[in-house]
Amino acid sequence: MTGIILSLLLVPLFSALLVFSIPNNRKELFRPIGIVFSLITFTQSMYILFSDYSKSDFQILLKFEWIQVYGLEINLGISGMSTLLLLLSSLLVLLSLLSIGKDHSESKGFIGSILTLHFAINGVFISGDLISLFIFFEALLIPMYFLMGIWGGDNRRYATIKFILYTVFGSIFIFIGTVYTAVISYGVNARLAVDFETLSTLEITASQSKTLFLLFTFGFLIKVPIFPLHTWLPDAHVEAPTAGSILLAGILLKVGAYGILRVSIPFFTEGFLEYKNIVAVLSVIGIIYGAVVAIAQIDIKKLIAYSSISHMGYVMLGISAGEFLSIEGAIIQMINHGITAGALFMLVGFIYERRHTRNISSFGGVKITMPRYAAIFLFTSFASIGLPGLNGFVGEFMILMGSYNSYKMLTSIAAFGVVLAAIYMLWAYQRVFTGPLSNEENKNLQDLNLRETVSIFPLVLLMLFIGIFPSYIESFVIQEAGNLSETISLFRSTK
Amino acid sequence: MTGISDILGFNFVVIGPTLTLLATALILLFVTITISTPTFVKKYVTLFGILSTVFAVFLKFGLFLSDGVSSYFSEKILLDEFALVGNVLIVLVLLFTFNSFWKTSSQIDNKTTEALILILMSASGFLLMVDSENFIMLFIGLEIGSISLYALAGLNRGDQLSNEASLKYFLLGSLASCILIYGIALVYVSLSISGVYETSIAISFIGPENVPLTSLIGLILIIVGLLFKVAAAPFQAWAPDVYQGSPTGYVGYMASVAKASSFIVLARLSAVSLNFIIDKFDLFFTAVIILSVLLGALFATNQSDLKRLIAYSGVIQSGFILSGISFGVYGISASIFYLATYIIQLIGVFTIFSIISGQLSSNFAISNLSGLFKENKFLTITFSIFMLGIAGLPLTSGFVSKFILITNLWSYEKYILVTVLMLSTVAGFYFYLKPIWVAAVEKTDNTIEQIKIQNSDKLLISTLAFLTIYLGLLPNTLVNITRWMVENYL
Repeated sequence: MTGIILSLLLVPLFSALLVFSIPNNRKELFRPIGIVFSLITFTQSMYILFSDYSKSDFQILLKFEWIQVYGLEINLGISGMSTLLLLLSSLLVLLSLLSIGKDHSESKGFIGSILTLHFAINGVFISGDLISLFIFFEALLIPMYFLMGIWGGDNRRYATIKFILYTVFGSIFIFIGTVYTAVISYGVNARLAVDFETLSTLEITASQSKTLFLLFTFGFLIKVPIFPLHTWLPDAHVEAPTAGSILLAGILLKVGAYGILRVSIPFFTEGFLEYKNIVAVLSVIGIIYGAVVAIAQIDIKKLIAYSSISHMGYVMLGISAGEFLSIEGAIIQMINHGITAGALFMLVGFIYERRHTRNISSFGGVKITMPRYAAIFLFTSFASIGLPGLNGFVGEFMILMGSYNSYKMLTSIAAFGVVLAAIYMLWAYQRVFTGPLSNEENKNLQDLNLRETVSIFPLVLLMLFIGIFPSYIESFVIQEAGNLSETISLFRSTK
Repeated sequence: MTGISDILGFNFVVIGPTLTLLATALILLFVTITISTPTFVKKYVTLFGILSTVFAVFLKFGLFLSDGVSSYFSEKILLDEFALVGNVLIVLVLLFTFNSFWKTSSQIDNKTTEALILILMSASGFLLMVDSENFIMLFIGLEIGSISLYALAGLNRGDQLSNEASLKYFLLGSLASCILIYGIALVYVSLSISGVYETSIAISFIGPENVPLTSLIGLILIIVGLLFKVAAAPFQAWAPDVYQGSPTGYVGYMASVAKASSFIVLARLSAVSLNFIIDKFDLFFTAVIILSVLLGALFATNQSDLKRLIAYSGVIQSGFILSGISFGVYGISASIFYLATYIIQLIGVFTIFSIISGQLSSNFAISNLSGLFKENKFLTITFSIFMLGIAGLPLTSGFVSKFILITNLWSYEKYILVTVLMLSTVAGFYFYLKPIWVAAVEKTDNTIEQIKIQNSDKLLISTLAFLTIYLGLLPNTLVNITRWMVENYL
């Protein structure tokens, strides 16, 4: 198992180096290499899914000395939630490589950057201590910087700098939190041990716990993003290339929520109990605000970006309620949103490649020329809205049901987000796909070709599968969500 | 039977590196004024001199193993861990910058020999400075080193900026020397001592609380004199102009050698002389650190000249290094780690600048980098690695050095300092990424002229870039070395 864990890092890194080292006149090789190696990573993640570790709490499997005199170690490990996210990330990397058009698929830097991003993402989900978590968290920025900066839209400079500065500003708080935790741990263990096993037994005072929770959570919440800190997201999404958007919405947004579930709540529970109400209020504001702003958008990509803010608000509401059901729902909603938002951005990418515009008003009646595309788009929209029987419903229902005990008022308001979601998604569908074919340019649109259909199809299948058998995906997170809610209720009863 | 030389502690191994460099400089001088020497002879004499210096440093290690920490020449010269590490750093700087300063010197008509002699003399002066036990020795070493650097800055006489740089450096540097010597005089007047260890003995004798104000002021003035050389704010005014005006091929050497030697001396002062009264200097150091970091970040943000940008970033880095030196022994070891990794990145950056814009050029606008990626991918990638290293991105050595420094500061509960330092890091991402954007990301029709890289340059740059990544991934060895340095001063 340790070999698999290590190879989750090494295989993407090796494939990125391989792509970078191939000379530019073998353009046709770049994409197949990327696809083969992400398929290998996907198989490895599947192997973990069917092993004992996929249903357990976080287990450290590999550790080595980093700086001896300080007693700093690098720890790698795995848990149920990580397994699901690893699987999602390798699937999305695979499909986004498959889905991109010719201008990107023949670029060495583009494929290489995506594979480097894969390396960093895998690193985040298997890191077993604060140092390596921080290292990979920051390492995500380098490939995203190049993906957005080189292959982005017209306003990419502004969006890239904004994205980088926001994330770095947030990660400074995580950095200071790590240093603070390390210094506390030094007082007890006589070494700067910040691995998750040591931290789970580390005794800290209430005030320390509150400070640390604020530091870590602030950094992670920028990445989620939560309401007042979200402004980088629409810009980043609009300017990023399609593959970048898929990975940004599908996985990078989950890193923030993952960090909160992995670090902030289990280790700094007292701080969580102190500040969870603020997080809950902010996330409900985010749900409604994101949905309302999404209704007014004229750019489809920006619409989906704002819908992401709304959907991630549900995740944060579920986490801050702290009940077993709501945490479980939040984890499942993370996976679901990764699937549906990834699919939506991929679909928008397909039509952008044909028309080079994303303006809703320049479409209309596209259903006539692209029936298959319209059908898949409608299906994905329903999944995103949360239609029962599709995946979006599962997570949101569990979150709303779980949070109702703690926040009756807030949950009632949040439930309106589902209605608003139906408004913005279906209205956008109506304006793009139905009606007469008014625009001349839309008359010659080609329907999805085989490559595009193949790359969207697994996501559509997953939406249906999770919608019908949610208990399968639930079985991987029961243990972790149970432990988290137990920790929370333990602290609550002692308070 | 012990001779007078033994009693006085004559030992030429201790000043071996200094003597070797001086001898090389003299040989070069005499050879070129007596017979007409081909250029390659000058090159190999210089290279041979530097390699002999490496050997002489090895001999010093041998002496240290047998004698331990001890002083020589009637307590003028000191051999301790700081001296050894300082020697190694300066010799490595010489080795790493040799290629670049040789090419620069060979392009200056009729002044090749002068340039080489000036470099060798300045290195020998700075070696003497890190070896000094006595403050007067420190002053002499600093002057030998700095005066050569003033001349080096203005060596390209046809260039107005170069002249300006030289004059500015000279005037402000002399002022700093005045402050330093005044500080030494004040310490001598009030305590009748003028040595690194003598100060610590005297203070422990009269008790830390009875130290007269005159000697405290004297010590602060000595520190200010040294802070001038490392361009810590508010003594940073010379740095941007000097970096910008001096021939690009020399700036890497000039910046790193002055920083290395001055910080080693500051570290020794903090660990030995000020050992008992370091808390009296808390406010002073905190003010200098905060000023350096804030002013550096503020001015670096809207620079359009890359050399000025690096100069202001140097001001920030000085603040960082100082924040370790002034707080605790482990902080000193973290600072030395920071210093070593920063010097590697600094030399790398300036080597790349001199390759792109030519050795003798003075201005280097950020827009000069436009189109670099199309022309030369190797330079772009290594340049990005160095810049990200200075910015402190994880996976590079810059992150490790910042991490251990901040951890130390936090354990001293200096929360305000930590906040200010971290904020400057965020700002740093803005201005360190700007040149990378221009070089690698921005689409441009600009084509910069053909860049020719020699294999030696390629080897040097890839070594430095490799070290930056390696020390970011596996910093254990260097951390152990810096820890060994300070273990005796706990």
